[in-house]
Amino acid sequence: MEEHVGQLWDKLVTRLSDKSYQEASISLSEIAKPLGIFFRALGGDNALRIVESTATQHYAKRNWKHRIAGTGKYIELSWQDEDTLHLPKQINTFADSDLNKDLYYWLAAINAHSLENPSAKARGLQGWFIYSQQLTLDVLARFPGLGTRYQRLVNAYLLLRNSDEQLNEQEQAQEEAIAQALKQPSSIEQLPVSQYAPKPVILWPHPNPPEVADLSRRKNSAEDDHNGESEPSKPKKNDQENKRRNAERVDMPDGKDGLILHRFESVFGFSEFLNVNRSTEDDDEADQDSADKNADDMDFLSLARDNNTKGGKVKFDLDLPAQSIDDVILESDVLLPEWDYKKQNLQKDYCSVVNMVHVSAEQGELPERLRRTAKKLRHQLEALTTKRVWHRHQSEGSELDLDAYINYVGERFSGHKVEQPDLYQQLRSSERDLSCLLLADFSLSTDTWLSNDARIIDVIRDSLFLFSESLRNTGDQFSIYGFSSRNRGHIRFNTLKTFKESYNGVVRSRIQAIKPGFYTRMGAAIRYAAMKLEAQDSQQRLLLILTDGKPNDLDRYEGRYGVEDTRRAIHEARAKGLQTFCITIDDQGGEYLPHIFGNNGYTIIRKPEHLPQKLPILYANLTTDPA
Amino acid sequence: MTNDSQSDIPFYSSQGNEEALFEHAYGNQLPVLLKGPTGSGKTRFIAHMAAKLNVPLYTVSCHDDLTASDLVGRYLIGDGQTIWNDGPLSRAVREGGICYLDEVVEARKDTTVVIHPLTDDRRILPIDRTGETLHAPNNFMLVISYNPGYQSMMKGLKPSTRQRFISMTFNYLKAAQEQEVIEKETGIDAPMAKKLVAMANALRQLKDHDLEEGASTRLLVYTARLIKSGFDPVEACLAGLIEPLSDEEDVVSALMEVVYASFGK
Repeated sequence: MEEHVGQLWDKLVTRLSDKSYQEASISLSEIAKPLGIFFRALGGDNALRIVESTATQHYAKRNWKHRIAGTGKYIELSWQDEDTLHLPKQINTFADSDLNKDLYYWLAAINAHSLENPSAKARGLQGWFIYSQQLTLDVLARFPGLGTRYQRLVNAYLLLRNSDEQLNEQEQAQEEAIAQALKQPSSIEQLPVSQYAPKPVILWPHPNPPEVADLSRRKNSAEDDHNGESEPSKPKKNDQENKRRNAERVDMPDGKDGLILHRFESVFGFSEFLNVNRSTEDDDEADQDSADKNADDMDFLSLARDNNTKGGKVKFDLDLPAQSIDDVILESDVLLPEWDYKKQNLQKDYCSVVNMVHVSAEQGELPERLRRTAKKLRHQLEALTTKRVWHRHQSEGSELDLDAYINYVGERFSGHKVEQPDLYQQLRSSERDLSCLLLADFSLSTDTWLSNDARIIDVIRDSLFLFSESLRNTGDQFSIYGFSSRNRGHIRFNTLKTFKESYNGVVRSRIQAIKPGFYTRMGAAIRYAAMKLEAQDSQQRLLLILTDGKPNDLDRYEGRYGVEDTRRAIHEARAKGLQTFCITIDDQGGEYLPHIFGNNGYTIIRKPEHLPQKLPILYANLTTDPA
Repeated sequence: MTNDSQSDIPFYSSQGNEEALFEHAYGNQLPVLLKGPTGSGKTRFIAHMAAKLNVPLYTVSCHDDLTASDLVGRYLIGDGQTIWNDGPLSRAVREGGICYLDEVVEARKDTTVVIHPLTDDRRILPIDRTGETLHAPNNFMLVISYNPGYQSMMKGLKPSTRQRFISMTFNYLKAAQEQEVIEKETGIDAPMAKKLVAMANALRQLKDHDLEEGASTRLLVYTARLIKSGFDPVEACLAGLIEPLSDEEDVVSALMEVVYASFGK
């Protein structure tokens, strides 16, 4: 009973204190795409992803309703860091949804622009006050059309700020200063001091954006990294509210010191980081729920890299798989550069590639279940084979088109005035001189189960089979390679079929033997593949990349570093005159893809199980001249 | 446009040393390749240079049905006889002048074979049909252009063709210069021209990521003309700058936000 009353009370006061307008709410997901374009057009960095921002504590005075309800401590503001632009998950500040939308665009505009000395930490509160005004002024000067929108927002916003709360003199002065700064940017230089932090200004960037303080630098040493990739064994849809949270990374206490409380006078809250064993419920679902609840209540999450991984949920390779006797190394220690976007330089001989081939005495067969599809696809792709046909009614040609000539003469004799028709025919072949290299991702993530009986790697295997089956008769030259990586020193390149080999039982047995492992250092793989393809003497050279996700590896090769290196590798390949195209089955992908491959350089297959049938068709579309 | 003696020369605002380079190439009978995005002034540059050097200009806009005989010429069947009819390339070689093959990658592959002998020191044009071999006079010049950003999987200039030309790259003009060009071309007032250029530069940042190509100077000129003749600026931008760049509805609406950022809403 008490609990029930408590819940009702909580609902009531929360509603009372809540001044947002849910019905006019605009959510980020609704307008993320146009907002991204707008952001980039106004000068925002192409490589940034837009994500929902974390609610951060603002330390400003709250009114009595908020205090009773225990709400209003957090606010979602906007800021950007190296990889991402953070925007509020939803905006429901104003009663008018157009205003809420305008606010999104305004936030994108000010974040697209940055001034000198962008470090927010160094600025401090006064710095933030001046910086925000200057930023506003600059943005309005560059895009004067935003002026009216800004004024509208400021007017509506100031009305909301003048709420019912009691302010003391200092607070009043602070509010007035902010109001003036909003109305006339750069007209005031000093923010009066008060006991509390000033009320957050949603029109300005975050005064003190949370940084993911990485206290335990990710070590490059191998011993820490042997954990391999840990991921849940079953792909789980997370329908719960996917809230982002503030986090820091701390060193994992070794636990030997025990729990000795030095600070006797202070009492530990449950949010402080302590390495004690908290009981976890056995049920995963319940565990997840209570963890979510706890996380909601915490101000700050501390993450530690633990060397112990929870059993059953982890798949890992502790070491290289035993050098299997049937893998023969074709080429090793091929040194390749890597692009460091932070330093903007190409690190010479940074990666080492080993090229190996699976040897087996067996003659592989095409799996029975694929035969029908293979046959169908072969017929469809026959159109790609070069054929010589007579083109009639040509203005120029090796022979007279007799039909056309007879018609022409006939019409002329009958007294018609006929325009000069095209009277020749020409035997022409639709010439095609094309080499295609298919580079497939064999990283561990392809080990994920798609359904009860197929993993991504199985789908990739089928795709490689059908691709080869379809292309064997077209006369196009093709080769197939796979790649995975474990750090920069060990990039594994699996040769499945070279350009010189013909598609036969040996190749089939190699395709049959592919297995997932390790990570995705895509840049080096693309560079190596480009070297192979470049040696091909064809008019058109196409590098097809088949992957299931973002570039990543154990060391810093993740996030923006990996994306930028891959992008660089693609640009290098294009500069060599190769055409590149990426086929991805990453259903959440998309944001980073245009940045790497260009607007028309990729496609996303939403349903991976369709890939085997789609790949050859896609290839046909890509390589057929629309004319 | 002024009515002095220069009035016949189309207006062109130099990006760098391209005029001098072109004159030297012309003087030394070297073929030239112009690279650059759509609407960056390649065609205008050639028109300008042809007028300046006072030579006839034969422009051929290449398309995917353009064959070698469209360039060289063909026999027409007349009343009981066949008559040879020169194509633009043969005419330029016979009479002297600049032959400009616009967007040459669009043409059929066999056309490049025809231009190869003209681009080395032989400077000849063999015409198989008539058995003639034309020798290019000193005032003949071959110019081709292509747009490297326009990535079609099956289209690209072969290295063997590319390596036969002196090449120059055209790019979008610097903001101040582009503004001047737009003012000169359309007579629009400076603040408006400035706004348009700022907006175009914003749109150009989206190239390769959200858009295939940025807004060209030509589109800016068109838009400025619409505005100059009294059309609503925002509507003019939609018609002249935004719609030509994308067919996707959400992209268009996002780009319109960029327009509003310049013109207000």
